[in-house]
Amino acid sequence: MPWIEKYRPKKFSDVRGQAEAVTKARKFMEEFNLGKLTRGGKKALVLHGPPGTGKTTLAHVIASESNSEIFELNASDLRDKNKLHEILKPAIEQQSLTKKSKIILVDEADGISTVDRGGLSELIYLIDLTTFPVIITANDIWDRKLSPLRQKTEIIQLKEIDYKTITDVLFEILRKEKLFLNPNIITSIAIRAKGDIRAAINDLQSVSRMRDPSIIEFHERNKEVDIFNAMRIIFKGKPNNDTLKLFDSVKMPIDDIILWIEENIPAEYSGIELAKAYDRLSKVDVFKGRIYKQQYWRFLIYENALLSFGISSAKDGIKTGFTTYKKPSRILKIWMNNQKTAKMKSIAEKYAKHVHVGQKRARNEFPIIKQIIKSNPEIQVELKLDEDELAYLNK
Amino acid sequence: MTSKIWTEHYRPSKFSELVGQDEIVQRIESLTNSLNIPHLLLAGPAGTGKSTLALIVVKELFGDNWRESYLELNASDERGINVVREKVKNFARTKALGQVPFKIIFLDEADALTPEAQQALRRTMENYSATCRFILSCNYSSKIIDPIQSRCAIFRFKLLEKKDIEKVIKKISESENLTVTPGAMEILYEGSEGDCRRSINLLQSTASISPSINENLISTVISNAKPKDIKVVLDYALAGDFLRAREKLLDVMLKESISGQDVIKSIQKEIWNLPVEPEIKVKLTEKTGEAEFRIVEGSDPFIQLQALLASFVLAGLGKG
Repeated sequence: MPWIEKYRPKKFSDVRGQAEAVTKARKFMEEFNLGKLTRGGKKALVLHGPPGTGKTTLAHVIASESNSEIFELNASDLRDKNKLHEILKPAIEQQSLTKKSKIILVDEADGISTVDRGGLSELIYLIDLTTFPVIITANDIWDRKLSPLRQKTEIIQLKEIDYKTITDVLFEILRKEKLFLNPNIITSIAIRAKGDIRAAINDLQSVSRMRDPSIIEFHERNKEVDIFNAMRIIFKGKPNNDTLKLFDSVKMPIDDIILWIEENIPAEYSGIELAKAYDRLSKVDVFKGRIYKQQYWRFLIYENALLSFGISSAKDGIKTGFTTYKKPSRILKIWMNNQKTAKMKSIAEKYAKHVHVGQKRARNEFPIIKQIIKSNPEIQVELKLDEDELAYLNK
Repeated sequence: MTSKIWTEHYRPSKFSELVGQDEIVQRIESLTNSLNIPHLLLAGPAGTGKSTLALIVVKELFGDNWRESYLELNASDERGINVVREKVKNFARTKALGQVPFKIIFLDEADALTPEAQQALRRTMENYSATCRFILSCNYSSKIIDPIQSRCAIFRFKLLEKKDIEKVIKKISESENLTVTPGAMEILYEGSEGDCRRSINLLQSTASISPSINENLISTVISNAKPKDIKVVLDYALAGDFLRAREKLLDVMLKESISGQDVIKSIQKEIWNLPVEPEIKVKLTEKTGEAEFRIVEGSDPFIQLQALLASFVLAGLGKG
């Protein structure tokens, strides 16, 4: 059994380094049970924070402390209302049989897509519908797409766990496993974990089996880095040769990483740093363009180096403090705009054909043309506008 | 059926009605009367009568059945030269009816074609020269490759003068029962920038609000229709608010659906009006040129524009 499972906390008192979150979670459950009688209060709880800070664990602890079963939904279950009903039906019916109460858990809500399917609105529908408490975990609740959730839910932040707490936990595990390790190694595992206690325990378990753990080179370890951490390393840290390889460990295409960097540069940098960082990002894009046009893939090396080391070294020294990194918003905005302007384009096209001008010119002068068409129903007939187009005009 | 859109309804249908291009009209009219015209290249600014003249030629030649012998294409709307060639091929396959031994293909905005595409067009023109005449229109004849220019009779359209636009507006307002004050006429001309189509559209747009057209009314219509200014974006950047500058820029680009290169063009013009030192203007111009170069080389214009905005932020701090 992996240690991460074996030593997963079962009670509130076992949860380490999250005292504030635990207090708030208990309070939420108490209020929920009261709210059942009074029909007031919030029915859903969001646990958010970086990976490995104990979000899912805390959800399970809440369940076991309130003698409830966990009923877990994932993002794909939330794709449509009918499916959701089907899944929830047994959960609601079984209640009378087992007498055990339930907690509905939606793990990793960051994965819910809002663009193509209404996952988020289904989730809100679920919250309105449910008689059970809903617990949602997410890395970043401040992501714009999750904003409708924020009004409906109680939000609890789980912080990165400080390395001393992690060290204590690691020592405890070793004691229970009756193993001994050089304290320096334990401390360095705890520091390298950067607040991610799950990573620390996993590392500890892998190191404990080695005959001579002191030979391990922690810097060379190639663990998967999630994008939020990658942003932190780039923007906060001092660039070194590990920085160059950072994006190899991020499970995301480099084109997407470029969008993340683009979105978040102004969150950390200003003035000269801002200009420097964007200048490097612009060179990243130039190399990207050259790769596309010439199919010369070696340019990827420069693209990657400028994007990692280049962006990181645009600052003097290091940055401190907590920054909430945002997901790239530009692609979504472009998509939404295209939806909006599709009708404008189709009207402009009909108009252009009719009056012998280019479509581009018709679009450029659309505000004037729109007023003409809008105010004259005969012209609308003349251009054979369909209902959707008329609706757009009169909006 | 006559159109309710004034640019169509009042489009001249005889040579004598066309304003401001007397010399061109005379030459083309005599060509048309001879029933044998060469390929024509009509060059000049928007709204000076190029399409209208082409339509008049066609109507004079073919009479009421002109639609059967006429193909109108817009180079910037068609997806590539191959689509153009395909359409030309289908159209040119059948012979012209009646006494005129050819059909007419009008290719608007021919300068939107790349030089390579124009080479392909040249071959097409040669292949179908027995059955078709081409009328090409463009804003700048310098963007048309020499081999095509040498195959065409070239006509340069002048920007319309104030008296020309006034004549058109007066004619329309009389038959539509509008009153246009002299001040409004002035603004209408300025707002049209010598583009007759634009002046008529402005007039109809304003007339849809009220038949008595004064300065204020027309100014309101014009300013509502103006694209959101790139200047606002630069003002935010110079004031150090990068995030708002970026947001506004994306907004403007999406709403007006303008390309990165178009934005660069307006930025480059706007620099000279900015409240910064001459030395910084030069530096910003250089940065802008570099950004344009990188847009051409790169893949994502918006990233290049952000980098440029960051330079403006620096300039605003006096560190450009």
